[in-house]
Amino acid sequence: MSMDEDFPYSLQQIAELGGHEERAWHVAWNPKRPILASCSADKSVRLYTYREDGEGKLNVSFLTSIPTGHTKTVRALAWAPSGTTLATASFDSNVGIWEQEPDDDGEPGEWECAGTLEGHETECKGVAYSSSGTLLASCSRDKTVWVWEVVPDSEFECMGVMMEHTQDVKCVAWHPKEEILASASYDDTIKIYVDDPQDDWYCVSTLSGHESTVWSLAWSPNGNYLASASDDRTVRIWRRVGQHDFKCVLALQGHERTVYSVTWGIGKGQQEEGYLGWIASAGGDGTIRVWELKETSASEPPSHRMLTRLPDAHGVYDINSVVWCPRTGYEDLLASAGDDGVVRVWKIAPVTV
Amino acid sequence: MTFSGALTLTDLNDFITPSQACIKPVEEIKPKNGQKEKEPGAAASEIMIDGSGAYYEVSQDGGGTSGAGRRLEQAQISLNDCLACSGCITSAESVLITLQSHEEVLKFLESNSKEEEAKRKIPVVSIAPQALASLAAAVSASSSSSAPITAQQILRRLRVFLKQTLGFAHVFDTTFARELALREHVKEFLERRDKARRQAESGKENQEPSGQGHFLPMLASACPGWICYAEKTHAEMIPFIANTKSPQQIMGTLVKEWMGKKWGKRPDDIYHVCVMPCYDKKLEASRSDFYNELYSTRDVDCVVTTGELDVVLRDKGWDLSIPVDGEMDIEHELLPELITHPGTSSGSYLHAIINHLKKISEKPLEISVKQIRNADYEEYELREEGGRVVFKGAKCYGFRNLQNVVRKVGRESGVRVGMGAAGKLGGRVMRKKDKEEGQNQRIEYIEVMACPSGCVNGGGQLKAVGGGEWGEGEVRWGNREWTKRVEEMYWSSGNDAEQSSELLREIDEAELGLRTSYRAVESNVVGLAVKW
Repeated sequence: MSMDEDFPYSLQQIAELGGHEERAWHVAWNPKRPILASCSADKSVRLYTYREDGEGKLNVSFLTSIPTGHTKTVRALAWAPSGTTLATASFDSNVGIWEQEPDDDGEPGEWECAGTLEGHETECKGVAYSSSGTLLASCSRDKTVWVWEVVPDSEFECMGVMMEHTQDVKCVAWHPKEEILASASYDDTIKIYVDDPQDDWYCVSTLSGHESTVWSLAWSPNGNYLASASDDRTVRIWRRVGQHDFKCVLALQGHERTVYSVTWGIGKGQQEEGYLGWIASAGGDGTIRVWELKETSASEPPSHRMLTRLPDAHGVYDINSVVWCPRTGYEDLLASAGDDGVVRVWKIAPVTV
Repeated sequence: MTFSGALTLTDLNDFITPSQACIKPVEEIKPKNGQKEKEPGAAASEIMIDGSGAYYEVSQDGGGTSGAGRRLEQAQISLNDCLACSGCITSAESVLITLQSHEEVLKFLESNSKEEEAKRKIPVVSIAPQALASLAAAVSASSSSSAPITAQQILRRLRVFLKQTLGFAHVFDTTFARELALREHVKEFLERRDKARRQAESGKENQEPSGQGHFLPMLASACPGWICYAEKTHAEMIPFIANTKSPQQIMGTLVKEWMGKKWGKRPDDIYHVCVMPCYDKKLEASRSDFYNELYSTRDVDCVVTTGELDVVLRDKGWDLSIPVDGEMDIEHELLPELITHPGTSSGSYLHAIINHLKKISEKPLEISVKQIRNADYEEYELREEGGRVVFKGAKCYGFRNLQNVVRKVGRESGVRVGMGAAGKLGGRVMRKKDKEEGQNQRIEYIEVMACPSGCVNGGGQLKAVGGGEWGEGEVRWGNREWTKRVEEMYWSSGNDAEQSSELLREIDEAELGLRTSYRAVESNVVGLAVKW
């Protein structure tokens, strides 16, 4: 593990954010405002804000916590693209929708429950907003994936219930531009869904290749690739080769245990032709790995190089989630959540000799 | 950081997949005797299995007391246990398939024919019009003749097959029972509307603590998939569901009680089979509400799907494309045949109400239909000339639209949606802006069906025939086209209900029970909430 200096980049911890009383499951960066949200088995959501001081140093501070009222673990979070709404997925089988009602001065006030989405029969494992913010997807141990349309007044209309997976669905992820949904499951597959002209959602393709549970999904920022993290200890890269066709072109190796989370950000690499951004992954081995991907040609798999590797990022604990900050100027920020109940914020920077 | 001491399995991690095994606890009645309590963990007995597969408990502490041991009861899980439990679908289905299948019907018919005449039951079969339409579409698609074969021809051909080859005594379709169901449905709707209006006038709004005050919107009751789902996961919807029996169960009452009396037979002297487009109709037939305790018999003994009937036809080598004698003749077998109810191919429940309201209105009423997204969700409005809306109803098919119905009804009537394990988000709840709701005419009736496109596309129907024609590789589109075909066949033949007014009067006078009830099924999947 003394090889770290060989990597061109390193991860520096910006903040260690305690406060959750049980394991922290997931983190989500607000896409519009300087807010980071985390959720935990303690059923709460914690919100943090961050700003740079005069010397370019980033300060992260606790903003507020939402005692969600979920009766079980809050497993996952998703911000709407507008940044004004937060969705929570809970093991109590519900999705909660949270908004700030303006206070007396018209300023955003406390976070309040603006609605709930019921329908899943058992633990809800994941939730995601489409890029336009008009659709919301959720998935559950009940093997289903639901798509809801966001209608005004925090109401939702069910657009589809897909019972395609044969096991627990771990994660849902929307394409960054189009209305294409991907889901990952304990049945080792990834499924892709679209809607037909009659507004019915259906599964268009099944991606097989992983040898064990698929835990997490991340689309490339340009939408031409999908990354998947698995219990088979690999991160697979799927290239979109047709309207709804995907082909596995690469398997990133290295993790020694289950990979629980993968995130794909624009990064701060050299924006030359073929640059695909940065992938970070983490999981049961406690190590955060960061890769840079480049497209060489349409027939060749993208080239990859490991930018850095950080072992024991949460001590001896599993890492449940890693997420790149999507906001312009902050693409080098990564947040992680671990079984130690701690949320950490990292900055990736070139190693200067 | 501390972990809570009271960890539950579900909160521990999300690795565990649900157990697919049955979780019904097996009750054991301990024999009462003076034995001392044993040390925990000490083996008390051994289980032995004899040649016939019976289990025996052999005591160990007696030190070789003679004895063959106590024969153990076999743990039995009945279909009703499965239905009363939301633990697993799979066990319930497998039990069902063995209890109500075409093989079961054939087995019965065979053993029945061997009984001495006095002991023989009268085998009766009733076929749903959607099942006839499915067979008609399949036969028309695979036959070389250009003229499509109508549902009525299929019924006539089936009648010959079912009587001559299988030995049924009577073959009916279920449309006359549906006529009764629709009449009762309209009657119930008017009762509910009356109650709701009186309650509104007395200022109480639609709310009583018991939940009994929720009269409107009335929700259709013919779809067993919907009933099952509501009982298991949306108990708050139960007061809204019509209590009128489905056509299948009204047919059950007609056959076992009304016809039985006519024939001088007891309900258990008749064996009644229904052919349905739907697997969940098997669940419906086995509800305790439709079990006659006195005679230990069900109103419908066995339900087979269209697909299962098709298997029997194939096994017996019967070709439905070949005409039978007199298949175009007018024929009456106790009940009028194939009554059409214009409206939807799922029974026209909404249209029965609309037509009735139009009939009794003093002013002429105009109808307008608004499609919400697609043909599976349509809103119907009846208005007087020049404006006032006097009735609003909807038809709503498919699981997805069903979710929206549940949300909408919950929101408009103020009942809380969801139950069971699903926790309620407490804490701070945002106040919703008061909308103009209430000013508008609310929806008073919803024809709810669990299958997209309704009963013609039921789970028990035949699959699309002739892959190429329906779009090879594009099964999805093919299926939609196929459903359209079945729908066309559904409307291909039929008779007016008016001709049967005398019979209807006779049945009215018989005062048959045409209503039923529902109850919430509590989730007892305790395995998941085990405290460690």
